[in-house]
Amino acid sequence: MDHIRNFCIIAHIDHGKSTLADRLIQRCGAVEDREFRDQILDSMDLERERGITIKANTVTLPYTARDGKTYELNLIDTPGHVDFSHEVRRSLMSCEGALLVVDASQGVEAQTVANLYLATEFGLTVVPVINKIDLPSAEVDRVMEEIDRDLGLDPFESIQVSAKMGTGIDDLLEAIVTKLPPPKGDPEAPLKALLFDAQYDSYRGAVLLVRLFDGKLKAPTRVRLMHSDAEHKVEEVGNQTLKRVPVPQLSAGEVGYVLAGMKSLAGLAIGDTLTEADRPAAEPVPGYREAKPVVFSSMYPMDTNDYEDLTKALEKLKLNDASLVYEKDSSAALGFGFRCGFLGLLHLDVVQERLEREYDLSLILSAPSVRYRIVLNNDKEVWIDNPTFYPDPAQIKEAYEPYIKAAIMTPERYLGAVMELCRERRGVETTYHFLAAGRMEVTSQLPLAEVLFDFYDRLKSITQGYGSFDYEMLDYRLGDMVKVDILVNGEKVDALSQLVHREFSRPRALRYTERLAKKIPRQQFKIAIQGAIGGQIIARSTINPFRKDVTAKCYGGDISRKRKLLEKQKEGKKKMKMVGNVEIPQSAFVSVLKTEDDDDDE
Amino acid sequence: MRSASAARLRFVSRLVEEVALAAAEWRDPRPFDTVYFGGGTPSQLSAEELGRVLDACRAHLTFETPAPWVFLEANPEDVTAEACAAWRALGVRTLSLGVQSFSDETLRFLGRRHSGRQARAVGETALAAGFDTVSIDLIFGVRGQTADDWRRELEAAVALAPQHVSCYQLTIHPDTRFGVQAKHGQLSELPEDDQATLFELTHRFLADAGWPAYEVSNFARGPAHQSRHNRKYWDHTPYLGLGPSAHSLAAADASSPARRWWNERGTPRWEKRLAAGERPIEAQELLGPKDLAAEALLLGLRTTDGLDLDGLRARYGVDLLAANDTLVARLVDEGHVVVRADAEGGRWLVPTLSGMAVADGLAAAFDLSLPN
Repeated sequence: MDHIRNFCIIAHIDHGKSTLADRLIQRCGAVEDREFRDQILDSMDLERERGITIKANTVTLPYTARDGKTYELNLIDTPGHVDFSHEVRRSLMSCEGALLVVDASQGVEAQTVANLYLATEFGLTVVPVINKIDLPSAEVDRVMEEIDRDLGLDPFESIQVSAKMGTGIDDLLEAIVTKLPPPKGDPEAPLKALLFDAQYDSYRGAVLLVRLFDGKLKAPTRVRLMHSDAEHKVEEVGNQTLKRVPVPQLSAGEVGYVLAGMKSLAGLAIGDTLTEADRPAAEPVPGYREAKPVVFSSMYPMDTNDYEDLTKALEKLKLNDASLVYEKDSSAALGFGFRCGFLGLLHLDVVQERLEREYDLSLILSAPSVRYRIVLNNDKEVWIDNPTFYPDPAQIKEAYEPYIKAAIMTPERYLGAVMELCRERRGVETTYHFLAAGRMEVTSQLPLAEVLFDFYDRLKSITQGYGSFDYEMLDYRLGDMVKVDILVNGEKVDALSQLVHREFSRPRALRYTERLAKKIPRQQFKIAIQGAIGGQIIARSTINPFRKDVTAKCYGGDISRKRKLLEKQKEGKKKMKMVGNVEIPQSAFVSVLKTEDDDDDE
Repeated sequence: MRSASAARLRFVSRLVEEVALAAAEWRDPRPFDTVYFGGGTPSQLSAEELGRVLDACRAHLTFETPAPWVFLEANPEDVTAEACAAWRALGVRTLSLGVQSFSDETLRFLGRRHSGRQARAVGETALAAGFDTVSIDLIFGVRGQTADDWRRELEAAVALAPQHVSCYQLTIHPDTRFGVQAKHGQLSELPEDDQATLFELTHRFLADAGWPAYEVSNFARGPAHQSRHNRKYWDHTPYLGLGPSAHSLAAADASSPARRWWNERGTPRWEKRLAAGERPIEAQELLGPKDLAAEALLLGLRTTDGLDLDGLRARYGVDLLAANDTLVARLVDEGHVVVRADAEGGRWLVPTLSGMAVADGLAAAFDLSLPN
């Protein structure tokens, strides 16, 4: 076991985690230079574009160290976003050490701190890595000071690298071997393996990535998943280099893959423990927690004819994204669709983009919602994440909403604006403390619902891009929620209903009515757009009917052209959604439902 | 007075050839009771040349006896007492004067060569020449034009006491000089509200003055002066169009549904086809009951008579009221249409002034599904 090192790289978005991983892989010769494609681990186009790792990947690297021995380095990649913190935890649990990457010009960020806390929580040995030292804006001294002050790590233990240029990579590999501890475990004890990730392979089905704590694993052992209580027969085990390389067996301390004839990822819970069916471990690996969706939204195909395609696409997506949950939904205005649950806003974004990009679908998503806990007058408790099912307010005794603990890092000069943003978003117990010179950390307890609504964009804008943000779920607290309906000529547009805090109901309703008024074309009749809570109207916009559209000349016998224009107009109408007798173009829904302000100046 | 240019001579010869080719395939037995010289600048042809074309038509097609009603569109600069006399002698009974405006400024903007004073003088000349109907054609909606400016134009028109007035709102087509100017931001159509104001002003003013509208852009001093020819386009009476980009319509018969075809748009191509002995048809389309019903609807909503609902059902099988009862009720409520019975008890869907102003949108709002 002495020749094994299990480690991960943790970093704030954009601090160069993936490039660093690529460089390590390349240096260990796991890939030929000519087949090298930047950021191998970020295999989705989307990941490469956004510069974040959405789905963790893991790779085993052979490394011959300066002491002449060959080591097996298991690089366990972690997803780079708070939405996937559940998966991050599982990955960290599989490691003994972590490389904590800090950008030489950006310095320590909120996520860096959060990542360090996590790593320490799991007892990992942390080696700080200062990356991007080649940048003209690099301030290595300042960053070392931050590592000391903000992270409490020894800055002189840090390794300076430029992943882009390849500088310092040898020193880093050596540090992995010398500074990180080897795994411990008993190869003779009953099998105890942590399922820290799973991938979907279209030929082999589910590929389970496991870290063995005790015991041995080989085909054709019958294994049991201790939490989901399912049994499977192992068909193959091996090392995950860039390709899968079968090995006769995996042993305690090692990281590898398992194929067990499972057709999809459905039913697989990341964090579950694999053990031998005939000789089970006494206890599973501790710390198992179910990944629970916290953000909900309904998805409708732009063209109702695409419903079947959406159904198929979601089924496929679900094969390699076990955390995505969905069920059938329907809207009077938008037709059939799905109510989906996500781990967070980014997860929602990623799913939407993948559906649109990889499956060529155009979608309309309803306003994201959190899940509320409602206590009814009869003391029955219900969980509501869809405004459609919100109970009659007269029956509600108490309503509870989820809170998060947000950690925001910002340069000192934006402190006032950040505190104000937290206050606006109903933040409580908002406090701050100094990190390094000129840098502050603001912590605040915020309702998750308020963070869903363009919080991140606002933060970025008030801090001119310098602010960073991380959060964890906290608890449920009493809240004063109302359901705001949008009515078009007196008819409710179900897809636009949303649950909001009473304090924000009017501005939110105004925003919706105004945007709709801008996006619904004028028609023959006056259109009244209202925002209402129950029977009470709280916002109103009006679209006046058009007064003149008739073309002046219609003679000379060319009636065909005119009729074709009319047919085209009618064709356009077919694509609109009818609410009552008002035609609403899809673009109006899209515009109203997106949270950004970017089209407000139209 | 006019030199017979080679190009014009060739054009007229081709047109005469086209008459013969088209007549050979024209099946409708009904005699032609109107002839319309329009679209472009037919008044640039000499009376003699117009006469050649008319003679060709008379020779190859069946004309109503004693003579069809002949219409001629004329540019003000081509109108003189002599020209008018010559046109009258050819049988022209309606002269449409493309006056456009009585304001020098507006005329310059429109790129016209005549002045406001000339426009008035020409109107007087034409009216003195003894045509049955003289129409003054105006354009409104020019940039910067106020309601008062436009009212003065209308006053100038009615002061001449023509039998007919046409008022077209300036529309900017992309592939014209105006289109290019619009693209560079030098020109724009009036905002919709101003268009609506001018449109309503036009209709009210002319109705009060004694020229009630019979269509969106057309006003006449009594039914006798309404354009008998244009009405045919609106009620699907067959017509034969000759010359570049002219459209024709043939009624349905036992062997074919109704059919509309149109000639090559560019004069060179049109001439080339004829030179090769071919009919210069660019394309055609067959019109089913649904197409014809859609056209009847969009055209009917442009006229003050409105849409003959029983006729629509009898001819095309569309029961418009039954298929659109809620819509009609709302439109009646909104004051855009009325449903009216004629003396024989036939029902008509008649647009009001505000309804006529939005006729395009109204036409698109109706469901024209045919019963299965």
